[in-house]
Amino acid sequence: MPPDDCLARNEWICGAYLRTRRHILLDAVAQHLQLTAASVLIALVIAVPLALLARRWAGIAGPVLAVTTILYTVPSLAMFSLLLPLYGLSPTLVVAGLVLYSLTLLVRNILAGLRAVPEETRRAAHGMGYGPIRLLVTVELPLALPAAMAGLRIATVSAISLVTIGAIVGFGGLGNLIYAGMNTYFKAQVLTASVLCVLIAVAADLLLLGVQRLITPWARAARG
Amino acid sequence: MRRHAAAAVLLLAVGCATGPSLETRGRVTAPPGDGRHLTVGSAGFTESDVLAHMYALLLDHAGFTTSLITVANRELYEPALESGRIDVVPEFAATFADWLNARTHGPDAPPVGSPDLGTTMKALRRLAAPRGLTVLDPGRAVDRNAFAVTRVYAREHRLRTLSDLGGSGLKVRLAAGDECVRRPYCAPGLRKVYGIDVIGVDPKGVGTTQAKRAVQSGRDQVVLTTTTDATLDAFGLVLLADDRHLQNADHVVPVVGRSRAGGARVTKALGALNPVLTTQDLASMNDQVDSRRRLPGDVARAYLEDKGLLK
Repeated sequence: MPPDDCLARNEWICGAYLRTRRHILLDAVAQHLQLTAASVLIALVIAVPLALLARRWAGIAGPVLAVTTILYTVPSLAMFSLLLPLYGLSPTLVVAGLVLYSLTLLVRNILAGLRAVPEETRRAAHGMGYGPIRLLVTVELPLALPAAMAGLRIATVSAISLVTIGAIVGFGGLGNLIYAGMNTYFKAQVLTASVLCVLIAVAADLLLLGVQRLITPWARAARG
Repeated sequence: MRRHAAAAVLLLAVGCATGPSLETRGRVTAPPGDGRHLTVGSAGFTESDVLAHMYALLLDHAGFTTSLITVANRELYEPALESGRIDVVPEFAATFADWLNARTHGPDAPPVGSPDLGTTMKALRRLAAPRGLTVLDPGRAVDRNAFAVTRVYAREHRLRTLSDLGGSGLKVRLAAGDECVRRPYCAPGLRKVYGIDVIGVDPKGVGTTQAKRAVQSGRDQVVLTTTTDATLDAFGLVLLADDRHLQNADHVVPVVGRSRAGGARVTKALGALNPVLTTQDLASMNDQVDSRRRLPGDVARAYLEDKGLLK
């Protein structure tokens, strides 16, 4: 009576799995993307002012970097447990945790980019009559972009993998499937969800690389 | 699951407004309510998934709208149940009673779960009520610990019950979780209640494939598993009856948040399952999900339709 398909045989690669779980996989991918996008964007919005503050006042830089680095070392399982009383079982909990993790990478890289702007460039702009805002927007931020984008790429890829831990509260995108699959030795499910996770990470990285090339055309011109 | 994703989007939009509320007092004393939308929680293992799906389908059928959420463990979902984030959860009477007891009176409190269902339910309800939780009536299905031996071994020594095993004077090694050495339902209970000569516990986990293989190969003689384990046949194993009632009354019970799901309509909708669902049924559904890899939701629906509960 039991159908002898690759599901019943528990094979790693299984067409019937893809066929019967198509909607579930799509929903999981959608949730994964939403959680990642929300957390990286929020982290970016917080990280840019933090980095600017840290560069402006050297006294702040130390504590800001120290705090974000310490946050980064909190184990992800513990992080979600610590945030649980604040947010309850909700996607917000996962997003909040991921924002905290992304902050370290973003603040550090944006700050490194800003600090790498040559002093003579800044002075030249000053000499041409640029005010501080104009200097920041038209000279410093563009020059800091390559380093900042590198940070954004790392933050995005690591957020994509960390989203999976959200499965402990039921909001882990593909992690929900990986977690459930590991509990029941469901090989096709674990493999498929993991591969999708890697594909999303590679695609996001390539996408951001493309964006970086588009918004920093001078970098390519200099190299070529 | 699609609702799951939709709920995620919605909650993302609602944003930070979704933290749990602290006003539990109102929930405890207010009259039981009937929320229109109910969230059913699952603890993430197969049996819990299947039960949660059945509850959701029955509630849908009774006119509620439902969504499902899977949470890794009781430490996470029980507070959510108290706060109203989750409204309904499938539980096991004695285990949940002991868990609540440890939470209320500390980890060293004497256990309140017992082999007697009435005593267990009374203790469970007494512990659950102050937390704003209502425990609905238990059904027939029981997921309690059980001991199995190979069919050959049982035939050779004429064993049907654990008393038979005790009377036989055989020396047995037990494949179980490492906590079996101390837990009263396990090695100590087998020695004291049944007089079984347990010469060692092989820490291979409760009902794992490894544990069953160890018994199959003759390395160990007895394996600790649960009454809803449907893979015993495939390993050539048979359960020995717990004829002196060593195991606690781990009947399947729905636990609901009183303020939103404590009303008569929920009780009636979920109660429909009580006279129908048996331990065997539950085992067979676990098997369909774990061995044949069918979706818990499909298995639950097929079962309820077959029993005429969704008409």
